[in-house]
Amino acid sequence: MKIEHKIILSNVFNVALIVLIGLFAFQNLNLMLTKLRFVEIADDLNASFLEMRLSEKNFFLYKDEAALFDIREKIDKTVESIGLVKNDVVRAVGEKNFELLNLHLKSYSDVVEEMRKSANRNLQMEAKLRTEGKKLKEFSENITHLERTGVNDIISNSKRILFYSFWAIFLSAIVVSHFISQKILRSLREIENLAMSISEGNFRKIEGIILNDELGAVIKAINFMSEELRNREEQIIQSKKLASLGVLTAGVAHELTNPLNNISMIAQTYTELYDKLNREERIEFMNKVEGETERIKEIVRNLLDFSKPKEANLKKTNINEIISKTLNLVQNMIDISNIETRLNLKDGLPPLFIDEHQIQQVLVNLITNAVQAMSGGGVLFISSRDGSSSGFVEVTVMDTGKGIPPEFLPHIFDPFFSTKGVGGTGLGLSVSYGIIKKHKGDIRVESKVGVGTTFTIELPVYKEEK
Amino acid sequence: MSKYRIMVVDDEKIVGDMAKMSLEQEGYAVETFLNAEPALSRLKEEKFDVVVTDYKMKGIDGMEVLRTVKKLYPETKVIMITAFANLDTAIEALRGDVHDFFPKPVKIKELKASIQRALSK
Repeated sequence: MKIEHKIILSNVFNVALIVLIGLFAFQNLNLMLTKLRFVEIADDLNASFLEMRLSEKNFFLYKDEAALFDIREKIDKTVESIGLVKNDVVRAVGEKNFELLNLHLKSYSDVVEEMRKSANRNLQMEAKLRTEGKKLKEFSENITHLERTGVNDIISNSKRILFYSFWAIFLSAIVVSHFISQKILRSLREIENLAMSISEGNFRKIEGIILNDELGAVIKAINFMSEELRNREEQIIQSKKLASLGVLTAGVAHELTNPLNNISMIAQTYTELYDKLNREERIEFMNKVEGETERIKEIVRNLLDFSKPKEANLKKTNINEIISKTLNLVQNMIDISNIETRLNLKDGLPPLFIDEHQIQQVLVNLITNAVQAMSGGGVLFISSRDGSSSGFVEVTVMDTGKGIPPEFLPHIFDPFFSTKGVGGTGLGLSVSYGIIKKHKGDIRVESKVGVGTTFTIELPVYKEEK
Repeated sequence: MSKYRIMVVDDEKIVGDMAKMSLEQEGYAVETFLNAEPALSRLKEEKFDVVVTDYKMKGIDGMEVLRTVKKLYPETKVIMITAFANLDTAIEALRGDVHDFFPKPVKIKELKASIQRALSK
């Protein structure tokens, strides 16, 4: 269910609860008003009954005939007045009590009438009159009392129900909003983490069950974006490489011109001096041509290596062997640059799961950078050891060169970022970064201007189940 | 008449070797250098009639060689050869009073003709 729907549902629930409570309170108020109206009527009745009893007393004390008449009149008046408010009374005390009241009034009236008409008044009749009067008064007082208690009950009930329903609404609002906001926050945190890791170039996805709500939609969109970015990263690196081929071509053209010129000059001189050259000299000329074509072949091969996208061919490999092989490749460059090499390779390191040629390419890049940073000579340290995180091996290439200014450090793995001016394509470290990331490894740099630069690469150890 | 003295400066060894062989056929005395520093020291010792220099070299480049030669011996002709043949380098070289300017690959016959012109002036 969508979050929007959940919020609407919870609001509808709370509103319904509030309306119900309102209706209940309204109902109670109405009932209370009826009861109070009755109590008012009952008070009037009680006053009338009291007056009747007073007249009754007068009759007994002074044998006042007019008192009996008064009683009759008051009874009639009372019957008439409760007849007028019959609805209110019935609603308050019910039909049965209303009938009972009328019945009591009737029998009191009958006794009074009997007394009035009879010439022969005896004690029994007098007692009956008293009893009826008393009964009527007691009945009236009873129901009045009952109704007062009823009103009190209604008030305390309403108070209790309003109190509980307040807490019910309050708690439901808190629980629902807490639940929803927790859910939103949790998802937002996951999205935040994912966005962070995407910005670091780690195009992973949010795993687990993705709900069919707004956050689910956002997570799906981000997962899709992450996947697209991962797919595009390769294409971007490749297209940038192709774009830089244009720049590279100028350099390559120049590099090709020199051996071409050499071959051309050899050929021209060979033709010119053909008759004066002996056999050995002629062979030497041709060997020179062969040497120059080798140079051209090497340039073309490097260009092809650069432009071709290559899948990593991961194999169980010993890293120290690769470091030694790489050093053989670049030893000449190191020697002519007046640089001393110090190796500190740890014995017994676990084998790694890597592409030998690609890692060699990374090491060549790092060593070439180090050598170029030490134009005035220096020391190149290369070491291997167990990684800081388990399951990894660390290789560091450290130089005592000019260092990289801190403002350049965040960009050195960017494509086309170069501190070497026209001498660099700005692709060496960017390609190295891509290679190490493809190996699920890590590459870091630390540098101090005037002190030197250290590149550290971390590569995963070979695991049997792979 | 003593031989004309020609100096060839290029970090490609074959350029110097081939130029030397070919130019010696014409009776010139040729000295070759792989980079500018020893060439310039040699120039300070002795005058050359023509200096053929590469434009782009490690360390001191061809333009610097041109300027130094012109300062030491204004009448010595300088011929520039380059793999980086473009208008800017050509203009720069001409401003520095270069005698001739050849893009690589160099035609040795043209180089020889250019040297002859330089010497006949």
